[in-house]
This record gives sequence, C-alpha cells and structure tokens, in this order.
Amino acid sequence: MELGEEENKAAWLLGVKTLKIQPYHLPPLGAHDVKVRMKAVGICGSDVHHFKHMRCGNFIVKKPMVIGHECAGTVEEVGSEVKSLQVGNRVALEPGISCSQCHLCKDGRYNLCREMKFFGSPPTNGALANLVVHPANLCFKLPDNVSLEEGAMCEPLSVGIHACRRAKISPQTKVLIMGAGPIGLVTMLAARVFGAPKIIIADIDDSRLSFAKDLGADEIIQVSTNIQDVGEEVVKIQNAMGANVDVSFDCVGFDKTMSTALNATGAGGKVCLVGMGRSEMTIPLTPAAAREVDVIGIFRYRNTWPLCIEFLKSRKIDVKPLITHRFKFTEEQVEEAFETSAQGGNAIKVMFSL
Amino acid sequence: MGKGGQSEGNGAQCEENMAAWLLGVNTLKIQPFKLPSLGPNDVRVAMKAVGICGSDVHYLKSMSCGDYYVKEPMVIGHECAGIIKEVGSKVKSLAPGDKVALEPGIACWRCKPCKEGRYNLCDEMKFFATPPIHGSLANQIVHPADLCFKLPEGMSLEEGAMCEPLSVGVYACQRANASPKTSVLIMGAGPIGLVTLLAARAFGVSKIVVADVDEVRLAIAKDLGATAVIKSSQNMEDVGKELELIKEALGGAEADVTFDCVGFGKTMTTALKATSRGGKVCLVGMGHSDMTVPLTPAAGREVDIVGIFRYKNTWPLCIDFITSGKIDVKPLITHRFGFSQKEIEEAFATSARGGSAIKVMFNL
Repeated sequence: MELGEEENKAAWLLGVKTLKIQPYHLPPLGAHDVKVRMKAVGICGSDVHHFKHMRCGNFIVKKPMVIGHECAGTVEEVGSEVKSLQVGNRVALEPGISCSQCHLCKDGRYNLCREMKFFGSPPTNGALANLVVHPANLCFKLPDNVSLEEGAMCEPLSVGIHACRRAKISPQTKVLIMGAGPIGLVTMLAARVFGAPKIIIADIDDSRLSFAKDLGADEIIQVSTNIQDVGEEVVKIQNAMGANVDVSFDCVGFDKTMSTALNATGAGGKVCLVGMGRSEMTIPLTPAAAREVDVIGIFRYRNTWPLCIEFLKSRKIDVKPLITHRFKFTEEQVEEAFETSAQGGNAIKVMFSL
Repeated sequence: MGKGGQSEGNGAQCEENMAAWLLGVNTLKIQPFKLPSLGPNDVRVAMKAVGICGSDVHYLKSMSCGDYYVKEPMVIGHECAGIIKEVGSKVKSLAPGDKVALEPGIACWRCKPCKEGRYNLCDEMKFFATPPIHGSLANQIVHPADLCFKLPEGMSLEEGAMCEPLSVGVYACQRANASPKTSVLIMGAGPIGLVTLLAARAFGVSKIVVADVDEVRLAIAKDLGATAVIKSSQNMEDVGKELELIKEALGGAEADVTFDCVGFGKTMTTALKATSRGGKVCLVGMGHSDMTVPLTPAAGREVDIVGIFRYKNTWPLCIDFITSGKIDVKPLITHRFGFSQKEIEEAFATSARGGSAIKVMFNL
C-alpha cells in the first residue's frame, strides 16, 4: 500500500452471524475495469441467508467472504481502455460477471452462465466495502435526478423487471402476486409500469399488505399459512380480480403459495416462480398443466439496468418508499442492520450509507 | 353430432346406426345410436377405423376421467377416420366417398381462448367421448366438415385415425419448441411417449433418449428411432442413478427439452433435474394430480414447465408427416378388433393391459 492511500475496508462474513469490518485488498485495475467508491449498499434476503447459515441454496461460504451486492457509488479510477465512464460519474452496479464464452452467454442468457462471478455469492467477494473494482460495462451511469440509493435499488428492482419480461406482462395481463415482501413489491412496481391493468397482492401480514396498497396494489388479500385454505383463497382472489388471473407471481415459494397461484391462474396463463422458499413442493401441477398454465422460472435478471434507470429517471417507478431503514458502515451498525433486515415485518429494504 | 336423438331421414335402405355405449363401470354395449340431422356445414361419416385411448379406458373403468364424470349413457371413442356418406348443403370441400380423419373437438368460436387461437382451451368444447358428448365408436356419426381432413391417396384410414394421438405428440413438440437444436428426453414409452418420439424426430431432433420401466416398450422405442433407451424404476431412490444414465446417453450433457409422458412425482422430478438450464419440461402425461417435485431449484435455473391440453391445428401437419414418410405410425397399431359385442370388450381389456399393447384399433 502506498503512502497516503487509504486502507480499503469491507464487511466480511467470517462465520454464522459473524460480520466484521476488516481490510479488503482490491485486485489490480484491469484495462476494462473501474474502481468505484461505494455509497449505497442494500441488504438482500440472500445476504441475510448467508449471514444466518453460511450458505444459500447451493452456494456455501467456505472461507471469509465480503457480503453485499445491491450497490451504487462514484467512479474513482478508470482502466486504460474504458471510454464510457469517467472519474466522478455516479454509477449503479450490476453484480454478476459472466464468462462471455459459453453458449448461454452467447445466446443472451448470461444470467444462467455456469462460471458466473457474482458479488456476495461464494466464493466471489461482495460489495459492502469502501471501494470495489468492477468491469466498466457493468457500471451504469445514473442521471442527475436519480440518487445513489435509487441506483442501489436497481438490483432488487431488476428481479421484478426480469420476472415481468419472462412472464410477458402487458396491458392485457391481469396479475396476482403472492407475497408483499421486497420482491413482491418490486414485482408489483414493475408489473404496473409494464401496463398490467389490475394487480392483486396477497400476504399473511396485514401491515405489509397496507404498505402494498399504498404503493399501488389494486386489491390486497390476506391469506393464511394453512394449506386447507387454498380453495377458499382462490375463490377470494378470482372474485377480487373479477376476471381470469392471466399471470401469477409467486414471490414466496412455498407449497401453499404455489398451489394457490396454480389454481387461481386462468387456462392458458402463467405462473412465475420468483421466490425461493422451499426446494421441494407438493403442488397440483397436473391440473394446471392440463389447463396449459405454464410455470416460468426466474434466476436473477439480465439486461435490466438501462430499463430500471429509465423508469427511475422518468419517475414511472418510485423505489424510495421501499427503503425503510438506513445504517452507517460501522462495526456496531453492520450487524444491527442485518438483524433488522432478517426480522422482516415493516423492514422492507435496509440500506447502508457509506 | 353430440347428443343425437332425431332420426336421420335420408330415405330408404337406412340401416340402424349402432354404437358402443358406455353404460356403467366396465359395461360397454353395442346399441342403436340415433344421429342428429345433418346441418348445412356438417358431413355424415361412416366410421372405418377407431383407436382406443387411455382416457377411453379410464372412463370404462371408473366412469370418470379427471374432472369429467359420465352421468348418463355415452358413446365411447374419439380417435377416428372414415368415409364421407353425405355432405350438408353448404359443404364444398368434401364429397361422398372421400376418406377423412376427424378432429374430435367442436369449439364454440365465441369465447376468448377460441378467438385468440387457443381453441383447445375453449370453455364450451364439445369433444367426442368427453361427457356429455357422444363419441365416435359407431357405424356412422355426424360432424362439422371443417373438422374432417381429407386423406391423400396412399394414406390408410388406420393412419387417419392415428392422427389423433399423433396430434398430442406434435402439439407437445410445438409448445416445447423441439428442433434440431434441442436434445430431447422422453419419460414414458407408452402410446403418448411414442407419438412424442415420432413427432420429435419429424421436428428434426437428433438426440432422443427414452426412459420407461418396461423393457418391451423400450425396445419398441429403440426400433422407432430413440437414440438411447433407459430402463427406469418406480423407486424415488433411483432418480440419481437414472440421471447419470440419462446424462451419459446424451453425451455428458443435459436435455434441452424433456417430455413427461407419464406424469408422476418421480418422472417429473427426473425430468426437472435432467433438463438443462434455460430448457423446458413439457408435462403431457396425466398420472397424478398432486406431485411432490423439486420445483424451486428447477425454476432457479429457468427451466420452464409447459402444459399441454390435447392439441390445436395439427391435422394438416400430421397428414403431411405421414404422407411424406417422415412419420410412420403403423408400427404403433399392435392389435386390431372388429366391431362386435365380444370384440369391443376384448379390445378394451387388451388396451387396459398395457405392456405390448400400444394402440388397439377397431376396423369397422
């Protein structure tokens, strides 16, 4: 480290529920990279899962790893070949670096790349740090009227955008969303902007439901965790919709929510599974398939940042209400921030200000 | 068509029209079937070849199939072809003597799915032998002319009747986008798995692996062009091992498109795990209603599940495939019976038995 250079620090996940702010040595700046000073970093459910369990799905944290991936900041240095960005630019970062060589990448489905290096998905270090180095093509310039916090929100919003694209949301599709957590909410915001004429959102938590109503849900329905209630809830949903449900998004991912979605969706419709609640599910798949209700899978997103930024710039989407809690990047506050996010309830998006 | 009741009124030499009626569980009787009068856009067809489908067998055994219940006597059968006897006053496309294959379902053309071209999902669909609509295992039936497709010279009536099950395979391949770029896995080598195999080959698929528990059926699949066959079990514990075999058969890769032509938790679990990221699993079979499946990991690899209900607009393509030789359905017809009381009972028992009985065909 040169004289006068600050020591870069990051939030390292060292073990179950053990986060420590420690030095983070950055790799050298490649010709196509930029160095970004992190300003806003949000916490995702997957970050919390890694925090609580040292794993998330098939990703297992085997060695200390920097956490966090929903981020935005300012460019501090640009690589020799970088022309699209300059020092001082405010940018939102797309976390995942794909290989560009496999057939999935070359087919435009780079989110499915097997060699994907994604912030905060072991073993790739994340972005809750003072500084990170990242490819310039994955750093998207923010217009003047879009804040850095909104920039960081592009990441969760991208999940909603990608889901709405895959499910082909349009002014012709009436939408049901199971789950009014952060993912259900960004999906709702995206569905609205894609033109969905009616959006019903269902959740077990009535405070999350009134929050969703304030954010623009046409109808809210409180549901239970009791699988026996599926039949009755499907009727409630269909009555509230007053027409066929064309597309359902399961932003929870349990047997009950998926069963409700499959049964509530009209023939020829789609159910988009976004949530990752349970790995195995017992669901009435056959009757749904026999009505040509297709199930669409979602993995992260692809090519969504420019669109997110456009929606934020034009104010077609307002993500600011989703940021419910803010913390500073200090030892004391880092763990508290994660505990707050883990608690759910009225905590939607917890954001670090660096 | 459909209910029947009024007499034919076509003059002298009108012998009584007989049909195979489903009267109760395991009770089929050949009895008179009064046809409705011929509408201006209808044709009257003498049935010549009628195949038995798994759903026909299901109705025989339980007087129900899925959400459909047989509440009053109903003529059975829907996979059919015959010869035109009479055409309605506005029919120009067909003439008496023409050999035709029949598409069973009459859609309403007024509802949203019909108008959007998804008429197979019609709210008011009237489908041969789906209660309460009478089927076509009869001497004669009346049907809309636009659902009767002329068979070219050289195409037999039995091949015409096979267009119906073949349509399921063809439509599944269309919905799942089977193509020369996609490797295919088919779970189940029964009649539906086999027509799906034939359709996949016609759609240009070069690698097709077929899995089944029955070796006889696997041998038939191999003869019909499967690149590899895999003997599977009914044991959930074997999924891992079977996935290895499937992968090996596909040259170390995963399947781009998988057709589950069985429809149980195990076959769907295998299908979801065997399919590559970004691929599709097409659920064709209707084994169990509720299934326990590893849905989330599959959805998390963007493996989509595509549903199938019957077919739409497939007859012209099936006829093309058969006449061009791209598809040969004849090997699927394993048993033939005549239209008599004794034979209809034996035919259904044969079909129900499965095993080496693939398609049981009536010749009338």
